[in-house]
Amino acid sequence: MGVVVGPRVIDAGMSLVSVLISPVPVAAGYPSPAQDYFDGRIDLNEHLIKDITSTYVVRVSGDSMEGAGISDGDELIVNRALEPKDGSVVIAVLDGELTIKRLRVTGTGVVLQAENPAYPDIRVPSVSDLVIWGVATRCLHHV
Amino acid sequence: MSKPATMRRMPQIAHVDVNCFYASAERAFDPSLEGRPVVVLSNNDGCAVTRSAEAKALGIALGEPWFKLAPRAKEWGLVALSSNYELYGDISARVMELLGRYSAWLEVNSIDEAFLGVKGTPDQLLALGRTMKTAVRRNVGVPVCVGIAPTKTLAKLANKWAKHNPAFDGVCHWDSVAADDRESLMRRLSVIEIWGVATRLTKRLNALGIQSILDLSRADPVMIRDRFSVVMMRTVLELQGTQCIPMEEERIGRDQLIFSRSFATPITTAAAMRQVLSVYGQQASARLAKHGLQAKLLTAFAGTSHFNSKDTSYPSVCVPLPMPTADPVLLTRAAHALLPHIHGGIRYARAGIMVTDLRPTGNQAPLALFENPHEERRVGTLLEDVTRRYGRGSIGLGHAGIRGGPDWTMKRDMLSPRYTTHWDELPLVKAA
Repeated sequence: MGVVVGPRVIDAGMSLVSVLISPVPVAAGYPSPAQDYFDGRIDLNEHLIKDITSTYVVRVSGDSMEGAGISDGDELIVNRALEPKDGSVVIAVLDGELTIKRLRVTGTGVVLQAENPAYPDIRVPSVSDLVIWGVATRCLHHV
Repeated sequence: MSKPATMRRMPQIAHVDVNCFYASAERAFDPSLEGRPVVVLSNNDGCAVTRSAEAKALGIALGEPWFKLAPRAKEWGLVALSSNYELYGDISARVMELLGRYSAWLEVNSIDEAFLGVKGTPDQLLALGRTMKTAVRRNVGVPVCVGIAPTKTLAKLANKWAKHNPAFDGVCHWDSVAADDRESLMRRLSVIEIWGVATRLTKRLNALGIQSILDLSRADPVMIRDRFSVVMMRTVLELQGTQCIPMEEERIGRDQLIFSRSFATPITTAAAMRQVLSVYGQQASARLAKHGLQAKLLTAFAGTSHFNSKDTSYPSVCVPLPMPTADPVLLTRAAHALLPHIHGGIRYARAGIMVTDLRPTGNQAPLALFENPHEERRVGTLLEDVTRRYGRGSIGLGHAGIRGGPDWTMKRDMLSPRYTTHWDELPLVKAA
């Protein structure tokens, strides 16, 4: 009697992670039609995090980035390995605090912008005058 | 240097360690600590185990009890923090993962330092050292210094030099420094500054007229072996540039115990990794028991070689243990938490476990009956029954189950958030 080896999904008991284990024998004659197409559950780590070693998750406190769809209490995925560029949403160190801003690099200087008209821009001569803690790549917005 | 060309291509050793590790890990998530004197306290907020440069400048000694410092803390602007082992364990794992990308041969020497086998011309080695320093600072967020030399002992010395002499900017390649300068450094430094030379040995060396590192490097290795030990002879040979401190698979530090190794043949299956982790779990258990210690936190890690594999993977997990333990079953089970992150077919070149947050066995285990829950199966069943009926926290092993916070044995009043391992303690970023 033949045996088909197929994967089985178990819950690893850890957030965002599931795992394939094998082999699990399946009696010949009753192969699951889905079996050949099953590669495992969606792993958010795999899709949302490029470089796990350099990535941290932070939580937003305040409403200055509302215009970018980033609200109070949202979580952000921050990659420290990325080079901040014009338009990046960055975590900058301002007055000893981790602060989220939009980075604008122009011919005349560098601006840290809020995405909320209630908050003023912060201008510096160049990026090297800033301490950029990391670049936000995703916002886990609470809907 | 007038060494033959073949000598220059010999693999060298890079020693990388994090400056004031615990304090730097705290600063990575709380930039307001930058530039301020910071001390991190030992278990039960006993004494200063890490001091930032500013704290050292205040004259605070390593191991100084907190009750002596506390009255002056305000006046000094001194920030004291309880040991946040979860944070340090995760940051350590990240540093090691990152360093593993630069060498297939990585030996984790302690929670905050590693040796790497590196090859190249002096210029390439210096450039590699700078690259690693920049990468760890940028990607993980903590500052490191790098020493690169023909041997481990010299690499440690080079690192120390890099830390203390700003001219190196944190990276010292021993062979690139003028021979006169190296000699004058070794003449200036007492033998006690060398890795592995204890105070009592220093006195005996001094009695033989060996005061400085230079004196020791010029001593006769055979005489040193006869009068001291093979270990001391190795140190002499290492100072002379001959590699002879072998790869170690196990180290015990002040507050951690590490088992790790690189594999001769890469591990490619979770089943094989399970075996390796089981061996480490049991070794850790035996060593903890031998030293009369129990651990509260276990980190397990693995990594591919950056060179031999196009599928790179550096999984690590940080597992808080349910209670301080040296139990082989609990430790092994905790180490197995890495397995879901091991992907079949990927060639893992190394793996290891580290146990931290160690405390003496005597401090808990109030009832001998509960020392090994695995020998008392009925206890487990009873506990489950009671828990099911009366709720979690109504009963537990020893103190472990008693309500009132997870860290029942420890006073950690000044604990920072566990920023990277607990979802409800994430770092806050200000949107204002």
